[in-house]
Amino acid sequence: MNIQLNNDTAFIEELEDALQQDGPFSSWQLFQMSYQAAQTTLTPEFTGLTAPKHLPHMEFLPHQLDCARQIIEEMNGRGLLADEVGLGKTIEAGLILKEYMIRGLVKKALILVPASLVNQWVLELSQKFYIPAVSQGKRPVWDQNSIIVSSIDTAKRQPHRDIILEQEYDFILIDEAHKLKNHKTKNYEFVRALKKKYCLLLTATPVQNKLSDIFNLVSILKPGHLGNYEDFTANYGKDRNNLFNDEHLKQLIQKVMVRNRRQDTKVDWTERKVQTVWIAFSESEQQAYDELTSITSKADTFSSITLTRELCSSREACYLSMKKMLQQEKQIANREAYQDFLKVIEELPHHAKADKVVELIGNTDEKFIIFTEYRATQLYLQWYLQQHGISSVPYRGGFKRGKKDWMKQLFQNHAQVLIATEAGGEGINLQFCNNMINYDLPWNPMRLEQRIGRIHRFGQQQDVHIYNFALRNTMEEHVLNLLYEKIHLFERVVGNLDDILAELDIKDVEQEIQTIFRESETEGEAKIKLDNLSSVISLRQDQLQEQEDWDGNRESS
Amino acid sequence: MAIENLHKFLSDYFLANQCELLDNENGKVTIQLTDKMDELIMNRPFYWHYIKQIGQQGQPMKITFITNPDRQNEQGEWVHFGSPRLHQIFRTLSKQGKITRQYEQSGSVYRQPLIPWLVLNIKISYQGKHKKDELLSYGLQLINGTLVSPMMEKLSKLNLQPVIPDYCYTISPLIHNKSAYQRMIRYVQDYLRTKDYTWAKESWDHLYAEGKLLEHFYKEDQADKEKQNQLQQALSEIESRFRPRISIDIINGGLFYLSQESSNVVRSSS
Repeated sequence: MNIQLNNDTAFIEELEDALQQDGPFSSWQLFQMSYQAAQTTLTPEFTGLTAPKHLPHMEFLPHQLDCARQIIEEMNGRGLLADEVGLGKTIEAGLILKEYMIRGLVKKALILVPASLVNQWVLELSQKFYIPAVSQGKRPVWDQNSIIVSSIDTAKRQPHRDIILEQEYDFILIDEAHKLKNHKTKNYEFVRALKKKYCLLLTATPVQNKLSDIFNLVSILKPGHLGNYEDFTANYGKDRNNLFNDEHLKQLIQKVMVRNRRQDTKVDWTERKVQTVWIAFSESEQQAYDELTSITSKADTFSSITLTRELCSSREACYLSMKKMLQQEKQIANREAYQDFLKVIEELPHHAKADKVVELIGNTDEKFIIFTEYRATQLYLQWYLQQHGISSVPYRGGFKRGKKDWMKQLFQNHAQVLIATEAGGEGINLQFCNNMINYDLPWNPMRLEQRIGRIHRFGQQQDVHIYNFALRNTMEEHVLNLLYEKIHLFERVVGNLDDILAELDIKDVEQEIQTIFRESETEGEAKIKLDNLSSVISLRQDQLQEQEDWDGNRESS
Repeated sequence: MAIENLHKFLSDYFLANQCELLDNENGKVTIQLTDKMDELIMNRPFYWHYIKQIGQQGQPMKITFITNPDRQNEQGEWVHFGSPRLHQIFRTLSKQGKITRQYEQSGSVYRQPLIPWLVLNIKISYQGKHKKDELLSYGLQLINGTLVSPMMEKLSKLNLQPVIPDYCYTISPLIHNKSAYQRMIRYVQDYLRTKDYTWAKESWDHLYAEGKLLEHFYKEDQADKEKQNQLQQALSEIESRFRPRISIDIINGGLFYLSQESSNVVRSSS
């Protein structure tokens, strides 16, 4: 059989040189030890994972070991890693990379992740896997043998792009790979063009909208596995449900994709205890709220809904927006009413929700994460907590990477509370904390799922407590009752909600709700419309649930 | 001969490198490094560069290693089979312990000849869809061409030193090192012929099948130069991933002068 044979010819020359120059020679003991070292680092079997033996401080879960083994042995190092959120895709990917490095198959790797996760990947690879990963930094060195973590946005930009495309990588990893689902994008073309041996694509949502999403992802890993595009659409059409209905396609996909779901993992997940905390406005606050509602309903502008929402969050948030609106917008029908209302806000007492936070946190040493939608509320809360001797740190999407890491560390080691605005959602993992207050609820349920995913994930040892704040007799009550409760968002551990929304062609729930409030003449009308929206979602949910019960573990292999 | 006692291995390593063990009990050892070892493993080239520049005496560090997992939380560095420190030491060893020349100390008081052996420790890597390694240890007697395997296990029973003992003289080899090396490689190849190659066949088949898929994928684009380049790249990627290959690497080796008696023992028990 034709097998390429590589000989080591350098050694004998080296030996001859040493003999001619009478040294230097190794001592007998070091010589023996070198031989022992070689024996110790040997991998005598084609199959099986050796990496776990190298990582005695890590405890891997069965589904993680299984996934790594499957990708290496059955998929030969190219696969779509599509576990549900929080099952440890990073761990699985690290395990695979480590195994290849131990076996001497990977020396040069490029790991492309969202910019906000670069540091975290570097940290996890080096701490958990002893993989000397480096972040690309300001002056990246692409042409050396090393494990580089970079954001895809940096990598695809010149001058980096051309240099990177010249490199021959042993291993490429793309995190959040669903962003590559469209083959016409620059990102897609860039990743496709990379010279690579092994390749992992990580995503929790391998099919977001269209069946062709999966075709495009698989075509990076194994072009032709699903035929060419014409074959594919001819055979399987465009309906994403065919992924589950077509046996043949299902089997083909399973050859390049590992997807674990929570119920497949045999892990005791800690419980998620969700509690709605109903809060009543003080009398003066309620009066102000009602007044604002009547002012805004008279002149229906885009910001009117926002203002009411903001008043449910903090005086400050509402005040600032209103002031800005008055300054920037020339034509406001009832300008005076607004101007008078500013004075009303100034007179208001401390916000009922803020008092509730103090009440909840004040008597315990446990750590809490508070999520709010508004920066003004974030500042106010920080100040208000400080007044009550509660230490807190802020966290915002706009923080630079270094600052985010620093805040996380401060929270872990010193502060009791972390107050985050949105975009704290993607990225940081805070398993060391198990209490979360949703100070105001986002109108997009997916965002809530992401928030909760920050603490209720693999590695969380405690039951997780989620407190959802809602003000009685306000729009918050409607949203909570009609939307969240109805679609059982809180009971489900992890969602297929994004799939459902995509299927129903609801692109942005938040906008949908805003439109409902804005376009409804009366509160009753808004309620009915909200109710309808929730019914559509929950109906589809039930259908899927039935199908799933019937199929059993259809996606797991 | 793989490392069984990691603690002993570490201690031996530093002793063999002239370091002093300050404290050594129950899986925890503190070592006073020498200048040379500090430079080799402590990753502080600027310090040593600076010290040399100003012509001062450097201060080599003390370092504590813990191999007993029960004590991993104590002060010191926990070393286990996957720890970067151990692999760093392995890397230094692959240089430090690469080439040697040893003489058997037979303790004879009479004039005695020592017979030359070329010893090679060889790592074979088999790589197709997956990869595995094997270690061979060969010794070739340089007078009559006898081949012995495995050699290291046999040498480990002898008393070897880097200097020729009194009363002993070496016999000049009849076989040159280079041709001995060629012979040993031929032996390796003969050995390789006896192996099972199902793995290589599977890899070839897989390579072929994936190649077909690729050609089908790009079949509509035969006039498109850009697409044809993509196809070529994809083909070379699967080739580097699946094409079966075997690599022969020399871990270490050297010249060993053994007494007639030991030469016979080594040979007879093979």
